[in-house]
Amino acid sequence: MAKKLSKVASGIPGFDDISHGGIPKGRTTLVSGTTGSGKTAFSAQFLYEGIVNFGENGVFVTFEETPQDIIRNTKGFGWNIDKLVKENKWAFMDASPDYSSSVEVGQYDLGAFLARIAYAIKKVKAKRVVIDSVSALFTHYHYYRVVRQELHKLVANLKESNVTCIMTAERLLEDGQISRYGVEEFVSDNVILLHNRLNLHGERERTIEILKFRGLSHDSEEAPLLVSVRGINIYPRPKPKLRGKGFSQKTSTGIKGLDDMLYGGIYKNSTTLITGASGSGKTVATLHFIMEGAKRSVKSLLIEFEESPDQLYRNAASFGWDLKKYVDNGIVELLCHYPEDLRAEQYLQMIQDLVIAKKVKRVVFDSISDIQRIYNERKFRTFVIGLNAFLKMHDVTSVFTNTTSQILGVTEITETNLSTLSDNIIILKYVELGGRMHRLISALKERGSMHKRDLMEFEITEESGVDIIGPFKDAENLMSGFARRIRQMGLNKEEAERDFIAEVAAGKI
Amino acid sequence: MATKFLLKLYVTGQTANSRRAIENLKSVLETELKGIYTLKIIDVLKYPNLAEEDKILATPTLTKVLPPPVRKIIGDLSDKKKVLLGLDLTVKKKQFVDAV
Repeated sequence: MAKKLSKVASGIPGFDDISHGGIPKGRTTLVSGTTGSGKTAFSAQFLYEGIVNFGENGVFVTFEETPQDIIRNTKGFGWNIDKLVKENKWAFMDASPDYSSSVEVGQYDLGAFLARIAYAIKKVKAKRVVIDSVSALFTHYHYYRVVRQELHKLVANLKESNVTCIMTAERLLEDGQISRYGVEEFVSDNVILLHNRLNLHGERERTIEILKFRGLSHDSEEAPLLVSVRGINIYPRPKPKLRGKGFSQKTSTGIKGLDDMLYGGIYKNSTTLITGASGSGKTVATLHFIMEGAKRSVKSLLIEFEESPDQLYRNAASFGWDLKKYVDNGIVELLCHYPEDLRAEQYLQMIQDLVIAKKVKRVVFDSISDIQRIYNERKFRTFVIGLNAFLKMHDVTSVFTNTTSQILGVTEITETNLSTLSDNIIILKYVELGGRMHRLISALKERGSMHKRDLMEFEITEESGVDIIGPFKDAENLMSGFARRIRQMGLNKEEAERDFIAEVAAGKI
Repeated sequence: MATKFLLKLYVTGQTANSRRAIENLKSVLETELKGIYTLKIIDVLKYPNLAEEDKILATPTLTKVLPPPVRKIIGDLSDKKKVLLGLDLTVKKKQFVDAV
C-alpha cells in the first residue's frame, strides 16, 4: 500500500525552511558532497536534533571515522553523544576500517551489514538512520555488483521498517557527477548536495542545495551553510512569510520629529537603514532608538564597531542619557568589537544566542559598513541576509547604520546592496549653503506606510540630541550635492525658477 | 590433540553462499587441520551482536582467531589454495610437487 508522502523535521536550523518541512519521511535521502563539505556534521546533527527535540532515536553507521572520533569531534558543538549512547537513544554501528587484513575468496553478500543495521534499529527503537558514507562500501569490496544489489536491499529494508534515512556519498568534483560510483542510482528519489567552493578571495564557502525530493516541494536555490560552535546553521533566503504577523504596529524611533515624518514611527519587526557620512549623526540617532526602548524596559542589543563602551557611555551622557545604567541592569546588551575579532558566522551565532536568551526586541548594528569592509561581497550578503531573516523571525525591530564615503554630494546607497533588504531608509546629509553646513534628514522609503517626503533640517543639541527643526525650504537640488539657494526670500519655488530662467535668458547668469 | 586453530565462520541463514562456504571450509579443515581446529559457525541473523563485536559486514566471513595474527577471508571459500594462503598455512609439499 502506498504511504502518503510527508516529511520529518530535521531540527537543523534553517534546513526545515529550505526543505519546506524537513527530510522525506520513511525514505532514504542521499546527501552528496566533496571532502569537507559537512556531510558527517549534517547527518550527525539530523540524528542529534531528532533525539533531543523530537524524541526520535537514531542509528549512526560509520564507515570512515570511529564512533570515538565522532563523539570527540561533536563535543565542540556542545553535544554529549556519549550520554545518548548510554541512554540507549543513539546507537553506533561501527564499520570503520579495522587493520586486520582480509582477502576475498569466492562469492559473498553483505548479509551481516544488513543484519547489524536491523539489530541496531531494534535495539534503540530508531526512527532515524544515518549511513556515512555508502561510497566506502564500494572501496571496501571488489564486486560493485554485489554492493549495488545489497544497497537496493538495504533501502527496501529501511522503507519496510519505516525509518527515515540519510546516506552520505562522496563527490569527487564540484559540479561533476552527483556521486562517486553513481550511488544516486539506488536512492535517486531524494538528493541533497553540499557544496564547498573556494571563492575568488581564496576563502572556503559552504552551501546546501536540494536537488530533488520526489513528489515533495522544496526551495531550489543554494543556501549558505555555516558550521558554528553549535553545529550547522543554514540561512534561507528571507521570504515574506518569515515576517510572521507582518507589519501592523508602529514603534517610536526615539526622535520626535522623525516619528512625525514617518507618521508614527517605524513598524515593529522592520529593518531600518540609516545612511550618512561620518559625523552625520547616525550613532546619536541609534542611541535615541535604544534609549527610547530602554526607558520602557524593551530589551535591546547594541552592536558597536566604532566606539568602546566608555566612549559610548560618555557620548550618551552628553545628551543626558544614562546608557550605562541600562547596560548594568541588563536592559541593554552591548557588544563592542573590532570587526576583525570574529568570523562572520561567530558574530551571527553570538547575536542569535543573545537575542534568544535575552528576548531582545530591538537591535542596532553600528555600522554595517565596518563589516562590509572586511568581508567579501558574497559573505557580506550572506551575513546580512542571514541576520535580517533571523531578526524578523524573532520579531526584532532593527536599525542598521551605513557610513557613506562622501561627506557632501550624491549618496549611493545601492552600492551596499542593503537598500532592497531594508524596509525603511533614512538618509542623513550635510549640505553646504551660504557658508554654513546644514544637517538634513529625509525618509527615502518606508515599506508599507505613508511618509513625508520633505527634506528636514535638524541639529544635534545637548538638550535633545537629534532635534528636527522643520522643512528645509531655502534651497533646492540638495540631494544632488549642488545645493542652490532659492534666490529671493518670500518667493515660492515656481516663481524663483521662473526668475532664474529669465535671468539666464537675459544673459545675466 | 589440543586445539591450535580457532576459527569462526559468519554466515547469513541458509543462503547458497553460506552452504557452499560451510562445505568448502569443512573439506579444507578435514584434510589440512584434522583434529587441531575448533570451528564456530555463527548465523548473523540469530546473533547480530556477535557480528557487531567482530565488525563483520560481509557474509560468509571466515576469521582465524588463533593462532595470531587474526585473519579474515570473505566469500564462499571456493578456492582452496587461496583459503590456505589466507590462513597463513603453507600448501603441503606433496600438493606443491603435484602442482609442478
